[in-house]
Amino acid sequence: MSESEALETHLQELRRGTVVLACLRLLEQPGYGYGLLEDLQARGFDTDANTLYPLLRRLEKQGHLTSEWNTDEARPRKFYRTSPAGSRLAAVLTEDFRAIAAAIDALPAAGTD
Amino acid sequence: MTASLTDRYIDAAMRTLPERQRADLSAELRASIEDQIDARVEAGEPREAAEYAVLTELGDPEVLAAGYTDRPLWLVGPRYFLDWWRLLKLLLAIVPVCAAFGVALGQTLSGATIGEVIGSTVAVLFQVIVHIAFWTTLVFVVLERSGHAPMNTATWSPDQLPEPRPRGAGLGDLIGSLVFLAITVGVVLWDHFIGLAPLHPGLSFLDDGLWPWWITGLFVIMGLEALLAVAVYAARGWTYALAVFNGILNAAVALPAIWLLFEGRLINPEFWPTVAGDSGAEVHGVLSVIVGFVIAGIAIWSTADGVIKAARGRN
Repeated sequence: MSESEALETHLQELRRGTVVLACLRLLEQPGYGYGLLEDLQARGFDTDANTLYPLLRRLEKQGHLTSEWNTDEARPRKFYRTSPAGSRLAAVLTEDFRAIAAAIDALPAAGTD
Repeated sequence: MTASLTDRYIDAAMRTLPERQRADLSAELRASIEDQIDARVEAGEPREAAEYAVLTELGDPEVLAAGYTDRPLWLVGPRYFLDWWRLLKLLLAIVPVCAAFGVALGQTLSGATIGEVIGSTVAVLFQVIVHIAFWTTLVFVVLERSGHAPMNTATWSPDQLPEPRPRGAGLGDLIGSLVFLAITVGVVLWDHFIGLAPLHPGLSFLDDGLWPWWITGLFVIMGLEALLAVAVYAARGWTYALAVFNGILNAAVALPAIWLLFEGRLINPEFWPTVAGDSGAEVHGVLSVIVGFVIAGIAIWSTADGVIKAARGRN
């Protein structure tokens, strides 16, 4: 495995859980697949469509999201919204993320050479 | 009208999904794909190129579908891998050897030529290995997909750590070897001077023609085996040199014994007819074959045991 591949793998692993957290927080306002994808990318969460769509389904199955079809517009879209359970999960994850960030800040400074 | 790439993509993705989820998922996936295409078209791409690019980015539809349903994309995953691997190793260590031994014995008893015996033994050995690997794996593939709990539901504890392997170099091993040799010598002498069959005193199992030279040779080799046992004890374990010496001694006993057996000079030809009566000749033939296999089996096992322990001892 080359150095850049290894770097890519490490970054992916580090970011994996943050997409879940971002989805739960963003979907406090109802959103649909592609709109959410754009929103995530605009906010700096680099996500692929083929990981986001299955993820929304999983979160719905776990009860952290609810969904509803909106047929008011020309193109019917499935809108997701964070459930009360999802909001609680988001709060726990946010808390934990802050704790991790603080713990990382407290680590000895990384070498820059 | 030909189906668009998007239609074909959605069809391919839905094919492996449960029926009741399809309508909902395909509508959602189509809306998402069209949203993405529209965004690219607005940015100035031609529609066809945009569709192609969007589908390329989504990747293999079956991978996407597996993501929707949490379907594993492997035969045996990490949950079962170690159970599968341990069971497979255990079965492969036991079953093929037993099957090959059984087939070789059966073929020889039914009077097959040496070529037929080797041929069918190799064939059976190969088939047994393939069958074990296939069926064991199939069971775990089904387990993986039926969402069963792992086999060892109890969590791992240090109590399960394997014991250190015996190196065959303790005082117990030395005493065991020497006692076994002494008993063997005793049985051979008893057989010659008193006879093993209680109802027929003086009737020996081993052919009288083996005395004195063949039997003397056997005792000499057994004396060397006793020295070997002492050497293994003194060296605190098997070395490759000792393992090779052990192999030579085993061959020096087994090869002449089997040769004598098939020459009809190892077992007293009077023994079975006297003990078993009318069917004695048949018993003599069958048991000669079995004795031959046992002699060869013991020699191979003992040689392999020494080599394996020497290999382990090096680490």
